[in-house]
Amino acid sequence: MTPDALDALRLPIVPVVPRQEFAAALLRRIEERAGPVVRQTATVRYFVTDLDAAVAFYCRNLDFDEELRPSPVFAMLYRGDLRLLLSVPGGQGGAHTLPDGTVPEPGGWNRISLEVADLVATVDALRERRVRFRTDVVTGVGVRQILLEDPSGNLVELFEPRAGYHERPRG
Amino acid sequence: MSTVSVRYIVIDVDAAVAFYCQHLGFREEMHPAPSFAMLSRGDLRLVLVSPVGADQRGGGSRPMPDGRKQEPGGWNRFMLEVGDLAGTVDALREKGVHFRNDIVTGVGGRQILLDDPSGNPVELFEPTRPEARLASR
Repeated sequence: MTPDALDALRLPIVPVVPRQEFAAALLRRIEERAGPVVRQTATVRYFVTDLDAAVAFYCRNLDFDEELRPSPVFAMLYRGDLRLLLSVPGGQGGAHTLPDGTVPEPGGWNRISLEVADLVATVDALRERRVRFRTDVVTGVGVRQILLEDPSGNLVELFEPRAGYHERPRG
Repeated sequence: MSTVSVRYIVIDVDAAVAFYCQHLGFREEMHPAPSFAMLSRGDLRLVLVSPVGADQRGGGSRPMPDGRKQEPGGWNRFMLEVGDLAGTVDALREKGVHFRNDIVTGVGGRQILLDDPSGNPVELFEPTRPEARLASR
C-alpha cells in the first residue's frame, strides 16, 4: 500500500477519556453564568412622615447619597449597592394607598442591615449626634448588632461581623 | 461590604424559606437553626429570623430591653424588579400567593404588594422609565 503523503501532517489520534472533574467545573461555570446574570441593585422602600428630615438623617448619619428628589413625597438615596426609596404615605396620587383605604405607615421591625467596621465607635459617634437607639449593642451568633431609629421610627440595623460570620464569596 | 442585607421577622422560618425560594427566585445560603435562615437573590441578602427569647442565641430577633417583642408586618419592604408584572402576578396568584392590592401605576413604574406567609410585604415592580430600572448606576 502506498503511504499517504499527508500522514506526516496529520495529528496523532489520542483517545479522549472523559474527565469528570473537568465536566463538573465546566458545569459550575455555566451555572454561575446562568445564575445571577442580571445584576440588580437591591432596592428597599421605607415610609417616612417627613421627607426632608429623613433625607438629612440618612445622608448625614449613615453615608447615603441623595440621587433623586423629584417631588415632596419621594426621594431616592444610594449607599453602595443599596438603593433606598423614601416615600411619604398617601403621596404620589395615592399609589401606595390600598383599595380599602389603608394608608401605609412607617415602623415595623423589618429593616435594612448596614455593615460597619467598628460598631462601638460608630454607635458612640451617632449617639453624640443624638441618634436614637432602640437597643444597646447585642452579641448574636455571627455578628454584634444594634438597632437605631430614623426620625419617622423606622429601624436600621448596624452590625459588625464576628468570627464565623458568613459572606458568600463574590465572583 | 457591597452585599445588601435586609432582615425580615417571620413566624415560621421553614415556611418563609420555602416561599421565597419557590416563588421569588431566592436561594438558600444557610439555615443553621430553626429560628434563622439566610437567603440570597443577586445582590440582596435576606435574613429571615423568628422571634426568640431574651436569653437565647439569635441576637437579631430577641425582645427589646423594654420587653417589646419583634413581629412581622409593617409596610417597609424590599422590591424586586420583574419584566412582565401582569404575567408574574397571574402566575403567583395561581400558586396561591396573597396580594394586598392590585397592580397600581406610580410615577416610575407599575407595582403590586404581596404578602409572605407571615404577612411581610414584598413589592414587585415593573419600571416604565429607564431611570427607575434597578440596574446598577
